[in-house]
Amino acid sequence: MSGLDEAWSVSRLARVLKDRVESEFPATWVKGELVGVKRYPSGHVYFGLRDELAKIDCTIWRSVAARLKTPITEGAEVFALGTPSVWEERSALRFNIVQVLPASAVGAAAQNVERIKQALLADGLLDPARKRPLPAYPRRIAVITSVAGAVVRDIITVARRRWPAIELLVINAAVQGDHAPGELVAALETLPRLPGVDLCIIGRGGGAKEDLAAFNDEAVCRAIAASPIPIISAVGHEVDVTLADLVADLRAATPSQAAEFALPEHTEITRLVSSLEARMRPALHASLSRRRERLERTRDRMASALLQRLRTAERRVLAAASALPAGLERHVRRPRERVATLAARLEPAITRRITRYLATLDRDAAKLHALSPLAVLGRGYAMATDDEGHVLRRTSDFRPGAPFTLRVSDGTISARRDTT
Amino acid sequence: MTTQPTLGDDLKRLEEIVRRLEADDLPIEEALQIFEEGVGRLRTAKARLADAETRVQQVLRDTAEDDVVRLEPLDG
Repeated sequence: MSGLDEAWSVSRLARVLKDRVESEFPATWVKGELVGVKRYPSGHVYFGLRDELAKIDCTIWRSVAARLKTPITEGAEVFALGTPSVWEERSALRFNIVQVLPASAVGAAAQNVERIKQALLADGLLDPARKRPLPAYPRRIAVITSVAGAVVRDIITVARRRWPAIELLVINAAVQGDHAPGELVAALETLPRLPGVDLCIIGRGGGAKEDLAAFNDEAVCRAIAASPIPIISAVGHEVDVTLADLVADLRAATPSQAAEFALPEHTEITRLVSSLEARMRPALHASLSRRRERLERTRDRMASALLQRLRTAERRVLAAASALPAGLERHVRRPRERVATLAARLEPAITRRITRYLATLDRDAAKLHALSPLAVLGRGYAMATDDEGHVLRRTSDFRPGAPFTLRVSDGTISARRDTT
Repeated sequence: MTTQPTLGDDLKRLEEIVRRLEADDLPIEEALQIFEEGVGRLRTAKARLADAETRVQQVLRDTAEDDVVRLEPLDG
């Protein structure tokens, strides 16, 4: 116990009580019955709020009273939102009320939400199968919210961290109050007219429960269902799920979470880019060597097929010559000699053709080999292409005077074949 | 307005290029051509990842003028 010389003044006690009560007590909804309602000429309204066991004195200041829609009538059952405060002059505790809702209306609102939910359900709008996947790499995200709130800022914060390349198109709309449903519907109807938008986040920051009304509005829910692009709802309420949440393609608890769902993770994408880069070069090499192997196989098969045919032809000529009757030999000596000469000429001719063809294939194979790791151009190989990018393989591909491009290790050279 | 390929477009195309190089027996010209395209897209993708800036615009509806939609920069 404190000593007498340390005794507090009454006003100090009153002030400390006031500070404690007012600083430590958050705004709270209280349900009770209105009793002893008095309206003063100043515009302030005084009354009591009570239930079976207790009562508290309440104040509604003039500024609040002027905008309240619920009539303050004796005996009415209400929900009242307020904070306790201490009137220093009498150290009297007062509940300062800022919002009043008739208890019956609150019940009616809940019933109304249930009715709308049944209607949406009947139309199949709550069917999970309707939910669309989000785009993997969104380019432009529309954000429907109040620009006065923190939603846009929250989303930007997440975007800068996760996926800075995003573009946000903000469509301003009231998210609470009487105008909210109409403005939200108008904003949703704007979506199809915005070019390149592939995702929409509709939402608001946290707030009191009755402020969710716009997100339980039937027209808003139907506009969400009708959207041509996927919609994430972010109504900013961990506990209450609104009808908009049920209709949307995805529900996020907060706008920040909506952005997390919507945007790919930068570091993951960096990893993806690195892995694609690592795969690309070996894939090219593999593709080119597959091509080369096929060419070589074709070359070998063609060579043996041609030799086979040549041998068959040779046998036939020899057989025909020896089958000729002896008496005719005189008549056929010259033709026979001719056949022999032709046969003798045929072989080198075909061999020459095969050799030429093989040389072409070898050249192609060599070129492929030179290209296969592109870097090997550095060994001194060059590739010639015409102005349409076709590879020039044979001398006949080079038309006299025609320009072509030589690709060497560090770039290309424009060249032209001599006209002579 | 946004006809330029985006990072997403680049990544999708890059995956396709690598898949084709890995799977198909492409003609030489085509293999080289898509490889070169891939190198270019890799370069832009990396650049985009490095210095992308989040752009924020507000959509304004002009109800007086036949409900025209305009975009205006919004300070984030």
